[in-house]
Amino acid sequence: MEKTTVVVIGGGATGLGILRDLSMRGVKALLVEKNDLVNGASSRYHGLLHSGGRYAVKDQEAAKECIIENQIMRKIGKSCVEPCGGMFTRLDIDDPAYEELWVKGCADSGIEAKPITLDEAFRLEPRLSRKHVKSAYLVPDAAVDGFRMAWQLVDSSKRYGGRVKTYTEVIGVENVNGTLSGVKVRDQFTGEEYSIACDIAVNAAGGWAGFVGKLAGLEIGVQPDKGTLIAFNQRIVNHVVNRLHKSSDGDIFVPHGSITILGTSSMSIPDPEDTSTSRAEVESLLKIGEQTFEDLRDFRILRTFAGSRPLYIPPGGAVGRSASRGFAIVDHEQDGLKGFFTIVGGKFTTYRLMAEKMCNQICAKLGNTTPCRTADEPLVEEVPQADIDRARKFFPSYGVNLAATRLGVDRFKKVVERLESDPESRELVCECENVTRAEVEEICKDDTSFIVNDVRRRTRVGMGTCQGNFCALRAAAVFADMGVESTAKDSLTRMKEFLQGRWKGIRPVLLGRTLRETEMTRAIYELSMNVTGGAAQ
Amino acid sequence: MSDTTKAIFTGDRCLSCTSCMANCPVMAAIKDYRGPKLVGPAHGRMHFSQEDIEATLEYCSNCKSCDRACPSGVAVSTLNMLKRAEYYKTHPHTKAEDMLAHGEDMGKLIRKLPFGALCANLGMDFGKALGIFNKLGLAGERNMPAYASTPFKDLYPRIKQTATGKKVVLFTGCYINQNEPQVGEAFVKVMNANGYEVLIDEQFNCCGSPLVVTGYFDEARQHADNNVARILDWKRQGIPVVTPCTSCSLMLKEEYHELFDEHDMHEAATNVYDAFEFLEILQERGQFNDNLTPTAQKYLYHVPCHLKCQAIGLPAANILEDYLGAKVQTADAGCCGISGNYGFRKDKYDISMKIGAKLFERVKQKDFDKVISDCGTCRMQIHHGSGIKPVHPIEILAQAY
Repeated sequence: MEKTTVVVIGGGATGLGILRDLSMRGVKALLVEKNDLVNGASSRYHGLLHSGGRYAVKDQEAAKECIIENQIMRKIGKSCVEPCGGMFTRLDIDDPAYEELWVKGCADSGIEAKPITLDEAFRLEPRLSRKHVKSAYLVPDAAVDGFRMAWQLVDSSKRYGGRVKTYTEVIGVENVNGTLSGVKVRDQFTGEEYSIACDIAVNAAGGWAGFVGKLAGLEIGVQPDKGTLIAFNQRIVNHVVNRLHKSSDGDIFVPHGSITILGTSSMSIPDPEDTSTSRAEVESLLKIGEQTFEDLRDFRILRTFAGSRPLYIPPGGAVGRSASRGFAIVDHEQDGLKGFFTIVGGKFTTYRLMAEKMCNQICAKLGNTTPCRTADEPLVEEVPQADIDRARKFFPSYGVNLAATRLGVDRFKKVVERLESDPESRELVCECENVTRAEVEEICKDDTSFIVNDVRRRTRVGMGTCQGNFCALRAAAVFADMGVESTAKDSLTRMKEFLQGRWKGIRPVLLGRTLRETEMTRAIYELSMNVTGGAAQ
Repeated sequence: MSDTTKAIFTGDRCLSCTSCMANCPVMAAIKDYRGPKLVGPAHGRMHFSQEDIEATLEYCSNCKSCDRACPSGVAVSTLNMLKRAEYYKTHPHTKAEDMLAHGEDMGKLIRKLPFGALCANLGMDFGKALGIFNKLGLAGERNMPAYASTPFKDLYPRIKQTATGKKVVLFTGCYINQNEPQVGEAFVKVMNANGYEVLIDEQFNCCGSPLVVTGYFDEARQHADNNVARILDWKRQGIPVVTPCTSCSLMLKEEYHELFDEHDMHEAATNVYDAFEFLEILQERGQFNDNLTPTAQKYLYHVPCHLKCQAIGLPAANILEDYLGAKVQTADAGCCGISGNYGFRKDKYDISMKIGAKLFERVKQKDFDKVISDCGTCRMQIHHGSGIKPVHPIEILAQAY
């Protein structure tokens, strides 16, 4: 039987942070995730590394945590954090009194909020509304790529012996006389069920923490709170642009790689699997967004997506935006199950701190006294500049830096070797996001790539302008050759599920240019290739 | 909000459909060029990631076939030219680029010398024969445009015109002024016949097209500012600016505001007309003088790329057919390949000739009396590639009055 010391349940930022922390302290740990990594709120979010400015008035405790973790992540996460900086802008319709509170709140929380002139604001963000913006401040917000961070946490954990199993769902929590003995899991592709023996299990399932709790007969107060976001085709902003008012819907724009993300809404939902979005939500976000950027509707929307914040609701606590963004650790020994923990709530920005606190408790239980080092050591080694410079000639222009930060030292080296020896592998699988065949091949070969969507999340194939029109076929073809055999052999299904994934986010914004784009998708796949076999779907 | 911050000028409307690549004559001729979509809108989204240069950007000839092919109205070639301008901010120009961009200055210089044009033409013949062009980075296979003995601006005062109260300003452009003043003369004859007095404005500069394509962006901007101020001055007097050169008119009407993004440029554009566009407007108003000697001649019409992307149809063909009874057949053989000064570069000569090959073949069939084309460099390229010398359609029309 498979054995480990700690099983971490849930492959979000929190779970991965715990895996890394434990591994670095020398604790044997295995993370199981029922889907691909960061399938929940850790990728279905803004991609914002908070400075804390957002919480400076309402929750200074959270604000202080944010600014400290923000500085740590900038230091240890150079390959997944883009230090673009942030701007808070107050509009004519926003309360000036709040601005005063906010300035004080930032000062009290240790967040540098530098007032700038409107001229400077418009120079930095030329598309800001001249009509509505009345004051502006710069803060140390940043953008962070949830996908890249997740896999870099895995790489870091692996270096210390940590292991990850994706598409492995926990279906049972096993105990012997009130002491945890292991978890039962199911392989999502083969259906195989087996047990993993462990001393400790951590329920870090985010929005799903309640379901995992139930498997152990425990009641856990977690309320999935859905937020819908819009991805625009390109960078509309250079900085994270926040509205300077009481936190509300649709008031943050984040430049996330080649795109811009606007969000979010806030809606309590019963099921964390519900990542549906609607035209009405899009409309309401745009309505708010265009107060800051008047010409917002002129910009192409790529797609929408939604994720659920796993809000922790202590008995009798508030829900929605009023609920605390704080987190809770529950040692279920108090509920009669020794060795079982739940960690729930919190924010992406403070995932590392949450993991540290969780691991302190686990290690105390295990008698491990090694201190936490996650704040000191970079997640991954950076690809040396000299290697990047040498590799430039094999990559498409504007492609090498992004590939280096996505791939990391070892995989980058392998990709460069392939590009060098096989010039044909320099062709682009994804023309919109500039991804070479060599990179797609390298990720397809990884034993955690079970479907084309897994490859997409790690390479950004299909996440650009054409949303898969030209790369779906190419990526599916490479995957059929190089992917995990059991799933790769059904290449048509793989391609269709990839396209369906794209379609899901496009459906609520099926108008204007997006509608034209989708007609092209249909023309290519349904008409020319007849992938649906003539059946209306 | 200014133009450059608007979505359309960032390539945001691109659907990535690849129509531009399918219609790019350069891509068809040389596979090294990564093509309009990648170099323009696609890479445009990725510029945030690092300082970089797309080496194959130099292949873009700015023929604007991509702009026309684009079903979403993206100014793809302008994105390329803006990127090229950025490149030359940090990279030196070659001698050949300097010469090709500054034809206007060369012309002015030569006109100051006694027998300057003659000497320059002889010099160019020798230069070509001795292989000096090649050494300079110019296409040694090609004749440089020969200077006319008298430029149009010196011929102009000798032309007797009757004041009618109706006036247009002729924007000759460099080529008509320096190399083919007979086109300017033909234009004056046609406009006079239609009751218009033709003025010229010596304060106009070269439209800037050769500067833009060679990356002399700041100079081009100065030309634009000067020309736009002049055009607006004429506009205030109610006098339209008309040009028989389709690359000049495209520059004045469209490329200025796409490239430099000034409100004035949009306004100036409304006072600029292509010569036949203007005549077609007269015709629509019932003011076109149709007292013409008919002809049974058959013309093969090479429609310049820069006329096609003005979206004004084929006014020259319409007028010659409807009022002259001529048979006008479009060559329908794509870009001629020269695209302004592109084909004059040594390293682009072969590409230029390969692009033009289909057109040359068509011309060589000789099932017509004359080849016509509104663009000076297109005419040179056709002459060079087929041995048959085309004329401007305004010359045909002038003969019929």
